[in-house]
Amino acid sequence: MIRRDLAIGLIFLACAIALPFLGPSRYVITQLFLFFLWATVVTQWNLVFGVAGIFSLAPMVLFAFGGYAAGMIGLYLEWSLWVALPIAGLGTVLFSLLIGLACLRLRGAYVALLTLAIAQVVYLLIITDTECFFMDGMTCRNFTGGTRGLAKYGDFGFRDLLGRQDWVMGSYFTGLALLALATLASIIIIRSPLGLAFQALRDNPAYAVSQGISRFKYQLLVFALSAFFTGLAGGIYAGHFSVMGANTLYLSLLLFLLSMMVVGGVGSVWGPLLGAAVLMLTDEALKEVIEYRSIGLGLLLVLFAMFWPKGIAGVLNGVNERLKRRFRSRVRS
Amino acid sequence: MDTFVQILVSGLTLGAMYALSTIALSLVWGSLNMLNMAQGALLTIGGYISFAAITYLGFPLFLGLVTAAGTGVLLGLAMYFGIIRFMFEKDGFETNVIIATIGLAMMMENIVLKAFGAYPFQQPFAVDGGFRLLDVHIPYQNLVIIGVSVGMMVATAWLLGHTRLGRAIRATAQSREAALLNGVPVRRIFAQVLALSGLLAAVSGVMLSSITTLAPTMGYDPLLKAFIICVIAGLGNVAGALYAAFLLGMFEAGVQYFLGVRFGFPALLLLVIIALIWRPYGVFNRRKVARL
Amino acid sequence: MTGPLLELVNVHAGYQGRSVLHNISLTIPEGSFTTIIGPNGHGKTTLLRCISGLIPLSEGDVIFDDAPLKNLRADQIVERGIVHVPQGDIIYPDMTVRDNLLMGAYLPSVSADADKLLGEVHRIFPRLAERRNQIASTLSGGERRMLSIGRGLMTGGRLLMIDEPSLGLAPVVVDQIYEVVADFKKQKRTIVLVEENASRVMELADAIILIDNGQIVWQGAPDELMTHTEIVETYLGG
Repeated sequence: MIRRDLAIGLIFLACAIALPFLGPSRYVITQLFLFFLWATVVTQWNLVFGVAGIFSLAPMVLFAFGGYAAGMIGLYLEWSLWVALPIAGLGTVLFSLLIGLACLRLRGAYVALLTLAIAQVVYLLIITDTECFFMDGMTCRNFTGGTRGLAKYGDFGFRDLLGRQDWVMGSYFTGLALLALATLASIIIIRSPLGLAFQALRDNPAYAVSQGISRFKYQLLVFALSAFFTGLAGGIYAGHFSVMGANTLYLSLLLFLLSMMVVGGVGSVWGPLLGAAVLMLTDEALKEVIEYRSIGLGLLLVLFAMFWPKGIAGVLNGVNERLKRRFRSRVRS
Repeated sequence: MDTFVQILVSGLTLGAMYALSTIALSLVWGSLNMLNMAQGALLTIGGYISFAAITYLGFPLFLGLVTAAGTGVLLGLAMYFGIIRFMFEKDGFETNVIIATIGLAMMMENIVLKAFGAYPFQQPFAVDGGFRLLDVHIPYQNLVIIGVSVGMMVATAWLLGHTRLGRAIRATAQSREAALLNGVPVRRIFAQVLALSGLLAAVSGVMLSSITTLAPTMGYDPLLKAFIICVIAGLGNVAGALYAAFLLGMFEAGVQYFLGVRFGFPALLLLVIIALIWRPYGVFNRRKVARL
Repeated sequence: MTGPLLELVNVHAGYQGRSVLHNISLTIPEGSFTTIIGPNGHGKTTLLRCISGLIPLSEGDVIFDDAPLKNLRADQIVERGIVHVPQGDIIYPDMTVRDNLLMGAYLPSVSADADKLLGEVHRIFPRLAERRNQIASTLSGGERRMLSIGRGLMTGGRLLMIDEPSLGLAPVVVDQIYEVVADFKKQKRTIVLVEENASRVMELADAIILIDNGQIVWQGAPDELMTHTEIVETYLGG
């Protein structure tokens, strides 16, 4: 299983490395860059929700935390964003451990609402931040940037390195590298004894506990690991756009990512990536009727939760199993 | 003294708003073990229906409220027959229903946005005027809200505690299998509870929007507030929710007065986290429900 | 004894595609006391759940009082008069003992007689009368079993099915429960009792049904069973 996954991953990786040399437009490159970031967040969210069974709605808080942390380190300490990025990632891990300690022993619905409330509190604290933290010339700037967002913390230096024309390539490959690492982590966790332990916990909690499997310890581990990649994604987002705002905490964005995970297939290795791709393409195709976007997303969530709770990956798996069985019975007869 | 009256009045008003936000969510979550994330959107639709009936159709105020309540009942039933019916007997209902209702909330909110636009309206269902107590102005509308919220809470608690339907709802909540074996038509109970919750949510939406404003996203904040009340009160404990709503209203009013408005919600969240660690079954409840 | 009150015809059933019961056919005459025995995990409980409609039949039919039950829901089957006291203690943990019992008389056909029935249950289980205002989750194991059986009695009904009333109880309590069950027999109620251990029910039963691997291996009168030494050795532990 793990070899097959790695092979699939390498094929995708090779295609993604070759693609920019076929001369796509800058718009396409930027959209693909965003795809890498969202797919990273969704694969990590899938580890938390689909594998460890924690219905957290915190991913975008962690993403925002990573972005703001990187930006603040760049702005207030004037360190390079390349140094700020790993620190932001580790900071996000610490932040996620705090959230985890508060909610990992709770039942599903409580986790969902508590993490949503945390996201809302962070959002409110940022947009109501009006106190002067420092003076930028004649204007007053807030600690978090407030409604205007955090800016002027520098970038990754791709403009100097690759020039005005090709600097987006720098972001593209940074995002790709992150997604590759995040996917590798996801494959390892799902196919490793850790993934099996979670499966055991799901299938037979009493037996698993008697085998000394501590649900809480493993959940915290997965929660923290996924926070690391999510925080990095936030940092890279901040570095690319040179401004970090509370719009990353909008509910609509969170639900867009939730749809990616649910439509793709909760709990599987490739489902979340597939879901991210499908939703971004659909979104692109429906640009003309953008006002119906949210209604369509909502409908998609309802339908998948009702009829295909395992997502496209689950449906494909079912078809595959059925074909195999039919093939086997034919061979036998 | 004025300060005290000021905090008391805004605390009671906030408490009433919490009670209104909580009641429908608590009923469905507590009795069907179903977290309805679309509860906020039901509040919003209730508020808008009353607005539309009174402003566009020229209904008298009271009839506007009745129209909203009726729409709430229909939406609750539609939710059962269109969505919940297909899900509640399957594995993973607890999480799948959260996802489905998140999607539903998104749809309803955006349908409201398309129908009425993002411009905030004033809820016409409101009583004008007020009176002065010491030096604090108290609008009559605040008293109406406090009265209605307490009334709905008490009525729901009575329904659950002292009627045949209430007993059947509690039985379904505590053991679906035993309820079936006692002849309780569990599916019909689900439909009835959702219809009732739609009614309560729609009326709550009218009340809430009468002292704030109507906006397509107005239901989101009450959803989170309702969660906080449910945690403190203990799930499905309607009487406890009434105390919790007013206590927390007072608490938030105090925090807002002394620390600033922006710290009201963060302080509540902190309180909830402490409560979840200290008493995961709710401060007013006996049984453990929140923890695994 | 008159004609059969309950009849199962070629019943097959299972959970999520895994079949548990195969081709079960049996008849329960009115006023009889039938005991179903057999090793655990071989379909006894599933059989009761099938009759009361908690799980659907995949084939065959259940006929009660000359009417087929196949497409009825569990709550409709109770209305017809089949009362099922499930295995373990399926009680309403947050209700008082009294409210638990009153739930037994939920059906409109019996709710008018609720007070009379409550008095009767209190006479049979005086302990439940003492604890009437206590929350059910605070009861002891034996009291919960009494509550569970008492709630079944509140429903009235023409057929009472009890699943393993002695499961997990101290011997003294089992004795108490079986005294009550013996009274049912004297009152000529129609009873179906599931037990893993047959020794206690031998003298009560009019008929014994032995289920193994989801199939009826043997059925007949108890004294007849004792003559089949190989069955006694395999299933009753000698």
